[in-house]
Amino acid sequence: MNMPGGYDTVLMIGWEYPPHNSGGLGVACEGLTQALADHNTQVYFTLPYQHPTALGHMQVVPCIDPTWSNPAGGPPFSVYSSTLPLTRNQVDADELHALPQSELEQRVEMYAQVVAQQTQAVQPEVGVIHAHDWMSFPAAAQLKQATGKPVIAHIHSTEHDRIPNGLGSSYILQTEAAGMAMADKIIAVSYYTKKLLVDRYGINPEKIEVVHNGILPLDQHAVPPAQSQFAPGQPVIVFMGRLTQQKGGEFFVKLATQVLRQRPDALFVIAGQGDLYHELLFKTAYDKLSASVLFSGFLRDAQRDKLLNRADIFVMPSLSEPFGLVALEAAQRRTPVIVSKQAGVSEVLPSAISVDFWDVDKMTRTILELLSNKGYARQMVTNQLQEVSSVTWDQAADKVKRIYRQAFLGR
Amino acid sequence: MPQLCWYFQLHQPYRLRDLSIFDLGSEPSYFGQVERDANREVFQKVAQKSYIPMLSLLYRLTQAVPEFVFAISGSGVFLEQAAEFAPEVIAWLKKLTTTGQMEWLSETYHHSLASLYSPAEFQRQVAAHAQKLDELFQVRPTVFRNTELVYSNDVAQLVAELGYQGMLTEAVDRYLNGQPKTTVYQDVSGQLKLLLKHAQLSDDIAFRFSERSWQWYPLTVDRYLEWLEVYPESEVINLFMDFETFGEHQWESTGIFDFFEKLIRRFVERDWNSYKTPSQLFASAKLGSLPTYNVPQPISWADVDRDLTAWVDNAFQRDCLRLVYELEPAILASRDAQLINDWRRLQTSDHFYYMCTKWSADGDVHAYFSPYESPYEAYRRFSIVLADVKRRLSLVT
Repeated sequence: MNMPGGYDTVLMIGWEYPPHNSGGLGVACEGLTQALADHNTQVYFTLPYQHPTALGHMQVVPCIDPTWSNPAGGPPFSVYSSTLPLTRNQVDADELHALPQSELEQRVEMYAQVVAQQTQAVQPEVGVIHAHDWMSFPAAAQLKQATGKPVIAHIHSTEHDRIPNGLGSSYILQTEAAGMAMADKIIAVSYYTKKLLVDRYGINPEKIEVVHNGILPLDQHAVPPAQSQFAPGQPVIVFMGRLTQQKGGEFFVKLATQVLRQRPDALFVIAGQGDLYHELLFKTAYDKLSASVLFSGFLRDAQRDKLLNRADIFVMPSLSEPFGLVALEAAQRRTPVIVSKQAGVSEVLPSAISVDFWDVDKMTRTILELLSNKGYARQMVTNQLQEVSSVTWDQAADKVKRIYRQAFLGR
Repeated sequence: MPQLCWYFQLHQPYRLRDLSIFDLGSEPSYFGQVERDANREVFQKVAQKSYIPMLSLLYRLTQAVPEFVFAISGSGVFLEQAAEFAPEVIAWLKKLTTTGQMEWLSETYHHSLASLYSPAEFQRQVAAHAQKLDELFQVRPTVFRNTELVYSNDVAQLVAELGYQGMLTEAVDRYLNGQPKTTVYQDVSGQLKLLLKHAQLSDDIAFRFSERSWQWYPLTVDRYLEWLEVYPESEVINLFMDFETFGEHQWESTGIFDFFEKLIRRFVERDWNSYKTPSQLFASAKLGSLPTYNVPQPISWADVDRDLTAWVDNAFQRDCLRLVYELEPAILASRDAQLINDWRRLQTSDHFYYMCTKWSADGDVHAYFSPYESPYEAYRRFSIVLADVKRRLSLVT
């Protein structure tokens, strides 16, 4: 039995959870809460919508404002989509200050109110409050004020990552900064992110602990490599991620041009969707790559497995990537990985080749080397597999528990 | 009171099926599906709504109005699909051919833009089409119509070299310089006779007939006859349009069939009016004495500018066309009949039309005709097919 009010009981403020997740946040919340449950932690997990099923390892607390139109189908809106009321199209930060409260701002604020009300029954029971990314910070701040309990702010992704040109939403930037200032402890998903929090948000490095995400071992549902054969004989080089500026899709297309000069038989596959989709399609055609750079659209489950299995090389040229789970998933499926130096995942996958996202020349050389030197590629796959096997959620939960304890004890 | 020259175009492309990257290398069919073939579905639907009712109406009119003559053209890919999906259409066409009142025109078998990219491939496709017409209908056309009425001085040269006496195209004001479109022209080299589409009177039927916001809606036969009869006996009004105008673009409920039937019957109630086929008009026109139609840049019958931008404009279209025609020598050298046939079906102009990203009024027309949700999807699928064609080619060479 957990002690009421002890740090073995945690109130997590969430925003998305599989199957209704738009990205890595939901996946990370799933892995972490399952591992915490294995570490005898009682988790209450709030969501701004009705989760479709009951979960065995924790209790979901739906926190829905009655005015939201789609509380049952998923998050009230996708926070990382291109349809945010505040986008980089609004370039003047001063203008942003002058704007009336956006719909997004209102929703996040309303979520804070609803969370404060809906969790009243469990508040005495919990020892710590654990908030995931900026959407949950106003709620966490309210709870802290109401209960005096310590708050851990978990940073999976920042506005500086998502909109790397510095023209992100000032509301989100401020919410992130205020949330981290208010928090007793901050968890960053990588040293890369920790440095960004220090450099860009001016956070005291001593307040930040790094907890890398884990990855679940391949289960029996995973598609075996033998069932992942297509485009036989051709080198297949894969990009998988949202088609946004952050993920560096344009560098992948540039890379294709250069590699194809040496390996005209190579096939480049771009898997994902996003607001740069049309632009990338045009760039592909404009660069005369129509028969060599193919777009698969958004892939899930079996098709995702299939593409990562089949890939001869996986490339993640992100401009700024707090973690980058998909690179681990590729490594787990025996695919040599090239990641940008601006990505946290290389900290747990040191065998992956890391390259500046803009250094297309070096990526080209690496790809040509991997394609021609099979021994090199095999060795890389072996090393990566070994590294992936030690990246567990168990380890992450262990660290998180220690952070709970520190926060609870006020250290 | 004028001469009327009707020409109807029959065409259906082989649309691409929803190919995915995971199909690469599995010898996929690019066009048909065993389970649910969109091409079959479209063809049969249009056959019921348009081809069969209009062909039977045309037949009835040839019997009832002996003066009624007209021209028709059908792409090879249309005739192939008709034979497979709606053989009744072929039977009607045969029946109409025997009346002697329907003149067949030549075109490229694959309804392609080869005249702009590869003269040799153009000739092969024209020959293939001629052979198909000979097989099916035992006819040998002497008049040519190019895909989408694409025309230029260079295209005229190609067509003249193939021995045709004339061809059809669009009357484009910027090249007519105020000359009338209602007479027979010749090309700049003086080798080929030309008929120019009367866009306004054609499109009154083909596009505006059921448009409620049009000031002349609903169009009556009386009014249309008034417009025709403005022209003197010596002049020719070329009414060129998609066959599917009747029953598909304009549904039966708009009254299009009744309108057409009445028009055909009433027009020749006056002795001075007459119907002519292109070759009849050309027979009485003498090269050398005709006005010249000088078209240095290619034109077509599509969109407001009557140029090529419906097919050759954005990067999607340009790169796909480039790749298709760059592959030509290797494809032909492969001697792989299936590969060559697939490659030719990819040349059908509709694939590039679907990739068009022009907006405004033309965009509406494009969206109406496209089976894909967007030009981006049209390009995405086409590029997957191109990758597979390249892969197959690498295996045979």
